[in-house]
Amino acid sequence: MHPILAYRGRLGPYLAAWVPLGGLMAGLLVIAGSPWVEAAAIAFPMAMIYGFICLAAWYPCKTASPHHVPFARVVTTQVMAAAVSAMLWLFLVDTWVVLLEQIPVFAKATERFPRLVPVILAMGVVLYALAASLHYLLMAFEEARRAERSALELEVLAREAELRSLRAQIDPHFLFNALNSISSLTGSNPAAARQMCVELAEFMRESLRVGGVPNIPLAEELALTEKYLAVERARFGSRLQVEREVSAEAGSCGVPPLVLQPLVENAVRHGVANLVGGGVVRIAARRLGERLHLTVENQMDPEAAVRPGEGVGLANVRGRLAALYGQNASVEVRQDGGIFRVELAWPAVPASAQ
Amino acid sequence: MSQTSSPGRLRVAIVDDEEPARALLREYLSAHPEVEVVAECANGFEAVRAATELDIDLLLLDVQMPGISGFEVLELLEHDVSVVFVTAHDEHALRAFEVYAVDYLLKPVSAERLAQALSRARERLGRPQPELAAVAAAARAEIAPLRRVLVRDGPQVHVIPVEALDVVEARDDYVRLRSRGREYRKQQTLGELAAQLDPGRFVRVHRSFIVNVERVARIERYAKDSRLVVLKDGGKIPVSRAGYARLRGRL
Repeated sequence: MHPILAYRGRLGPYLAAWVPLGGLMAGLLVIAGSPWVEAAAIAFPMAMIYGFICLAAWYPCKTASPHHVPFARVVTTQVMAAAVSAMLWLFLVDTWVVLLEQIPVFAKATERFPRLVPVILAMGVVLYALAASLHYLLMAFEEARRAERSALELEVLAREAELRSLRAQIDPHFLFNALNSISSLTGSNPAAARQMCVELAEFMRESLRVGGVPNIPLAEELALTEKYLAVERARFGSRLQVEREVSAEAGSCGVPPLVLQPLVENAVRHGVANLVGGGVVRIAARRLGERLHLTVENQMDPEAAVRPGEGVGLANVRGRLAALYGQNASVEVRQDGGIFRVELAWPAVPASAQ
Repeated sequence: MSQTSSPGRLRVAIVDDEEPARALLREYLSAHPEVEVVAECANGFEAVRAATELDIDLLLLDVQMPGISGFEVLELLEHDVSVVFVTAHDEHALRAFEVYAVDYLLKPVSAERLAQALSRARERLGRPQPELAAVAAAARAEIAPLRRVLVRDGPQVHVIPVEALDVVEARDDYVRLRSRGREYRKQQTLGELAAQLDPGRFVRVHRSFIVNVERVARIERYAKDSRLVVLKDGGKIPVSRAGYARLRGRL
């Protein structure tokens, strides 16, 4: 793409720059012996025309790019192009002078023309060199912009791939334990075993489905979390209690899929499951102004053998929110005695707005 | 050695915090007439109590349980009990065999694998076994520093977080732990325990004493070259010359 013609708003300033160059040329012609009116009549229009001719510098600049061909070839190509341009210009100036002669004021123009030839040729070469430099500069600029853009695109793609792999992480032990429960129920309570098969399948299917979607309504994420909890309840029985507090406003907000479920899974696995008497997992969602707040809170054993660190699930959620919302997302983790609490907040968006 | 009631019989305790998991094992075991399920425990505390009060040959033991883990249960058992771990996690297998587990079953459990484990347990029954508790404690030492010390008091288990541990004193063949104004006995040597505790928090100030540096109020000299540690609760502990150097480095 031509670095000047292909961009709106570049041709105007480029041609405007040739007006003072026309003035410079007029001055030189006056020094060479022309009266100033004649010099101006030749210099200004011819400078404009040379401006157009110099747009052709793009072709030699493109073929003789210093990145791809030896420097000597760049020089010879440009010297030849400069010579050809200057010669062409000289011919055009000559023709213009002949035409001007028709006007009585410029009657002696042809007579004085031979004295102007060296000035015109020299200016032709110098101006071409300026124009070629400008083309090189703009081309380098475009190249840098393109490189930056492709780097950005690459980063976006890498992030997307990362998100994809993060979403795919469902704890296999959850599956093994669930299968063990089903195996047990098969003997004692076949109906419950079937029910659990369905819940497990629905949870897996939903997880896989939303994994390919950028954004789902919070209500859907809650339904998915509910299926997960149904499977866990079969394992833990009355030891696992769940309380929910979700405002209707929050439920219709869009959330990245599987943003809540891993936190609830942590709350069960590292919290309630470690309590001899069981405990409560609290899930809350509300919209405060322009921000959506999700909170998962659970009881835990502060004296458990393993310190509740930031597990894979929480780290993933943190990473995904940072990738999606940057500084606008906040993840607060707090342990206060026997309560572990994670609060997420980010700008509320309507579902599937992304 | 366990006093098995009649030859060929196997007295089993099922330990798992999930009811369906226990029910499955119970159902599988009902196909083995020589097996008698003498206890079902929903956590490690119950397991220790059952193993102390009942005569048990074999524990079917889950690893991840509320309160104390399966490995910690082993550490607290006084007499020899065969153990078969039953867990969804395959990453503990190596450690299980380090503590001489008879077998390691993965969930979901198959009836065949359980039958295999039972016959292995029966083969081992008559044979002398290594000191399970000691082996288990040694295996745990590798994941030092400890976050809590477990003490068994008859059938009861006390969990002492290391933050709450004040002083450990060596006695004949056990250690005496002081925590929150109470004293506990644990069947372990002071050296073993010292190796498991966080050296940033606990200093061996004397051949027979380890002290939590956060409990130290001041050091008092009571004779030439003889010093005492005065604790914040007023208690006093002798300090050896080497212990004084170690303590000074930490305070």
